[in-house]
Amino acid sequence: MPEPLVARSPLRAHVAPPASPAGEPGVVLREIPDLTLASVAALKGREAELTQAVSSAYGVDLPDGPKRVSSGAVSFVGVGPGKWLAASTVGTDFSGLPAAVADQSDGRAVFRLSGPKARETLATLVQIDLHPRAFQRGDAAVTHAASIAVTLWQVGDEPTYEIVMFRTYAATLWRWLVEAGRSRGIDARLGG
Amino acid sequence: MSQSNRLAAGGLIDRASTIGFTFDGRRYAGHSGDTLASALLANGVKLVGRSFKYHRPRGVLTAGSEEPNALVELRSGARREPNAKATVAELYDGLEATSQNRWPSLAFDVMAVNQLAAPIFVAGFYYKTFMWPAKFWEKLYEPMIRRAAGLGRLSGEADPDSYEKITAHCDVLVIGSGPAGLAAALAAGRSGARVILAEEDFALGGRLNSDRRTIGDKASSAWAADAAAELESLPEVTVLRRTPVVGVYDDGVYAALERVSDHMREPAAHQPRQRLWRIVAKRTVLAAGALERPIPFGGNDTPGVMLASAVRTYLNRFGVAPGKRAVVYANNDDAAATIADLAAAGCEIAAVIDARGDAPALHAAARAAGASLIFGGAIARAYGGRSLKGCEIVDGRGRGFKVECDLIAVSAGWNPSIQLTTHLSARPVWDDRLAAFLPGARPVGMEVAGAAGGAYGLGEALAAGAKAGAEAAEACGFAAGAVDIPATDPEPGDTHGRGPWRSPVKRGKAFVDFQNDVTVSDVELAAREGFKSVEHLKRYTTLGMATDQGRTSNVLGLALMAEITGRSIPETGITAARAPFTPVAIGALGGAHRHKEFRPTRLPPSHFWAEEQGAAFTETGQWMRAAYFPRPGEKDWFETAVREVNTVRTAVGVYDASTLGKIDIQGADAGVFLDRVYINAFSSLAVGKARYGLMLREDGVAMDDGTTTRLGETHYYMTTTTANAGGVMRHLELCKQWLWPELDVHFSSVTDQWAQYAIAGPRSRDVVAALVDEGFDVSNEALPYMGAKELTVCGGVKARLFRLSFSGELAYELAVPARYGDAMIRAIIKAGEPFGICPYGAEALAIMRIEKGHAAGPELNGNTTAADLGMGKMLSKKKDFIGRTLSGREAFQDPERPSLVGFRPVDRSARLRSGAHFVPRGETPSAANDQGYMTSTAYSPSNGHWIGLGFLARGPERMGEIVRAYDPVRGGDIEVEVVSPVFVDPEGARLRA
Repeated sequence: MPEPLVARSPLRAHVAPPASPAGEPGVVLREIPDLTLASVAALKGREAELTQAVSSAYGVDLPDGPKRVSSGAVSFVGVGPGKWLAASTVGTDFSGLPAAVADQSDGRAVFRLSGPKARETLATLVQIDLHPRAFQRGDAAVTHAASIAVTLWQVGDEPTYEIVMFRTYAATLWRWLVEAGRSRGIDARLGG
Repeated sequence: MSQSNRLAAGGLIDRASTIGFTFDGRRYAGHSGDTLASALLANGVKLVGRSFKYHRPRGVLTAGSEEPNALVELRSGARREPNAKATVAELYDGLEATSQNRWPSLAFDVMAVNQLAAPIFVAGFYYKTFMWPAKFWEKLYEPMIRRAAGLGRLSGEADPDSYEKITAHCDVLVIGSGPAGLAAALAAGRSGARVILAEEDFALGGRLNSDRRTIGDKASSAWAADAAAELESLPEVTVLRRTPVVGVYDDGVYAALERVSDHMREPAAHQPRQRLWRIVAKRTVLAAGALERPIPFGGNDTPGVMLASAVRTYLNRFGVAPGKRAVVYANNDDAAATIADLAAAGCEIAAVIDARGDAPALHAAARAAGASLIFGGAIARAYGGRSLKGCEIVDGRGRGFKVECDLIAVSAGWNPSIQLTTHLSARPVWDDRLAAFLPGARPVGMEVAGAAGGAYGLGEALAAGAKAGAEAAEACGFAAGAVDIPATDPEPGDTHGRGPWRSPVKRGKAFVDFQNDVTVSDVELAAREGFKSVEHLKRYTTLGMATDQGRTSNVLGLALMAEITGRSIPETGITAARAPFTPVAIGALGGAHRHKEFRPTRLPPSHFWAEEQGAAFTETGQWMRAAYFPRPGEKDWFETAVREVNTVRTAVGVYDASTLGKIDIQGADAGVFLDRVYINAFSSLAVGKARYGLMLREDGVAMDDGTTTRLGETHYYMTTTTANAGGVMRHLELCKQWLWPELDVHFSSVTDQWAQYAIAGPRSRDVVAALVDEGFDVSNEALPYMGAKELTVCGGVKARLFRLSFSGELAYELAVPARYGDAMIRAIIKAGEPFGICPYGAEALAIMRIEKGHAAGPELNGNTTAADLGMGKMLSKKKDFIGRTLSGREAFQDPERPSLVGFRPVDRSARLRSGAHFVPRGETPSAANDQGYMTSTAYSPSNGHWIGLGFLARGPERMGEIVRAYDPVRGGDIEVEVVSPVFVDPEGARLRA
């Protein structure tokens, strides 16, 4: 009988170097492991059914537009017309929803970026306006970080952002964030 | 180390901090707040460089980024930077500067003999002279000319510094921080709008620091400092110093270059050298000011001839007297301030020449300075060589005399800095009253204020700036109150400078474009030879084409051409600028994305394990793929790849196929959709089965191929080639969103979700059986060729198992969620050990697919049809699909079209080469006899000789025929036999075993 398989992060120190600031960190970078993620698309003619199902199962009103709505451990992020990225911190199985659901728990990696210099660090890679007058907690965007496709949203006013990317881009985006963060006091540690 | 020309007091320099620097190896001292130019002038250094073509001695003409003369090399070693403007370079302790374009020294330059030949070195000289013999141009003339001309030297080493790119959004962008810019920024900033103020200088204030003006009860420089302090205190105002805005783009996007560390010996830890800003602004106020124009006269490039406004900048801002005995040559009243400032600094004024012939406003100033005023006169010639010694003046009645001087301040009116209004191709308009170009149509959202818009007066500029700033903020939804603009001291009078455009006396070379050594005579020559259009003038003489973008020369050259040809200036043409406004280093454009970080690197799930195995890697697009896994004793990739192929063909191997594109497709119409994008049918595919599919472009040419598996009634799983994954996804979305929005079908890229391993070889079933959990049957009956199953492996990890083969052997593809990919490859290797498993890389894979005759990138090359690829029979006749109609084109039906066959050398020891063309035996190689080409070749371990795939006219009908594979590029010309493209197991027994 083969040994059980061990789950591993796409990050290793030699491709995703950690960094620690000299003083108070201006920006903190962490990977958020073990999220359950799923892409959810409304089937034709069954949009209302999906809205109802999500509402009754998770207490979440599906957002119409680039917003993140969460309830407890579950959140839905609008990523396109009739499309959402569902996320859960407790291993929720989204496959029963009346929708086209594809598991993305391994297809994506998720970073959390926070601190007073988080917005400026992101501005070296992301071209959208993240100023509080334009982008606040609950807002989401499907955009790109330099040439890497990302979905991001704001979860805290510190500010704190969560950034989702395709898993195989995670090490590169980590390096690019660390590079941009070096002059801004980045604290980047692997392992959550 | 004495600063002999430093004034005893005054200026905005920090006299308490003395800093050392070197120029051409000599040590000098300056103060912080100096530019290199001001510090050199303070030390009495006037000769700063040699000119581009004639190697004439040159000094400092201006005090800003428009400087055409004072170009130096800064720093040394890898940080050496050519063509830096001494007038912009901020002095720092230890600054090293070197003069350029001279040998052996600045004072004695042997190439200055070019001046003796100057009468023949006129515009167009090279074109006319180095015509014959024609082939000498490349070998002799051009290299010789390039060595003689030119400016600074590149370091030739890698740039040790880093660069950064950043995006900023704002309501109001203010470009320039002179009176109009500061007033605009204050008006907008106080309203609470998000404001970015970008200033190319290291100090805010513009002319407020250069002139001794009064605003309210304050000196203008003090008012500027107070305004700067207030702006810094406003939370939504960002002040960017050392940051020229260099380009204007659509939708309110601006590029600005922040020289973060250029004023330091080297950047502070982790700081970039420069930062390229992409500023997205709702509204913009351009307050870029105006630049003074020179008046051409003989020897007007002699070190010591300077723009009058620059003279005042050196006196008032830097506390430096650029000369002890000055001549002022003007055609407008602005010279009054120059005279007063020179006198106040204790400089003697030898003469004031007013070219207009009527200058009441200059009377008082000249009298107060004790200078003689010459009406309607001109400077005929300046002399002194490396340092100005005097000039010949001709007065209004034609009498000539000499005046000794070491400084000539020239003032001929102003050119508004409107370059940024023209970047989106709007044309400026000529204003006769101001004798200047003013902004025409502006980029959407841009307003122009102050001198850039022709409002030269201080009070006017402040008011215009405040108004523009307030209006910009209001347009963004902010309530901007009126900005209280204090009263200013009286304006100097008529500063418009309507001509004359040059000294009427011609004696010696009179320069128009100093940086490119273009003279008044060159403009006259261009006119005589018919290059009268301003575009022709520019290209024939190179006027305005140097790194200063003709800031001091364009309008002048145009005005001279108008005068020479008897036309008005608008009739003669206009000048418009392109980005960048000032030179931008390529490094800044790349930002952090250079070397390996030029683009992302995607690491497949087995990457870290493969590193441990000592694999050699190859880049495929963004992917890093294992190319081969060398073992001790193997001497090269070839030996390793052959061993890997043999292991797969005789035992079992494993390959990471995760880089293939994988697309999850769901929806009630998924089958119908796939029928339309593939040439063959998928709606009829049974659940649990996979099928090879080929998709065409709309024009009937093959686009991509792969297998698609039906996982459920309305659920498919498509794979694409590694290279085309993104393109196929785009194609599918286009088809869904644009062509057939009525279909219920949804895509999700799951390329990264699954770690997918190909396990191939006669023992592969044994390996797979050892991995799947109890209760799952992987026998040939339960999982036949092209079958698929969802199951679990290694104790409950969900997996997908496909019976697919690219190698031609009995083979599987096992997919597990990517987080288990690393553990999975280790488990496969362990489970395969008893069966002799080895990992194989992209090299072995490529050999095996050629042995099996599978088309890949070289065959799906954008020129080939399904029929060319031998898949004509797959083209469904029962349904419509993308590319069907144009597949029927006459040319695509031509029986002579080359189609896919295999080749082997007649001499079995010969090597085949991709790219060779096929020519019938006995025929001359020529385009007419070209019958196709070889696309893929490999040494086949299974056959023991080289094999090839290629496209040959009527190939499938010519089995056994011998043709020539002609490869003149690499000297190949061998005979090859036409064979089936399948070199291994042509019946396909192995993959069905």
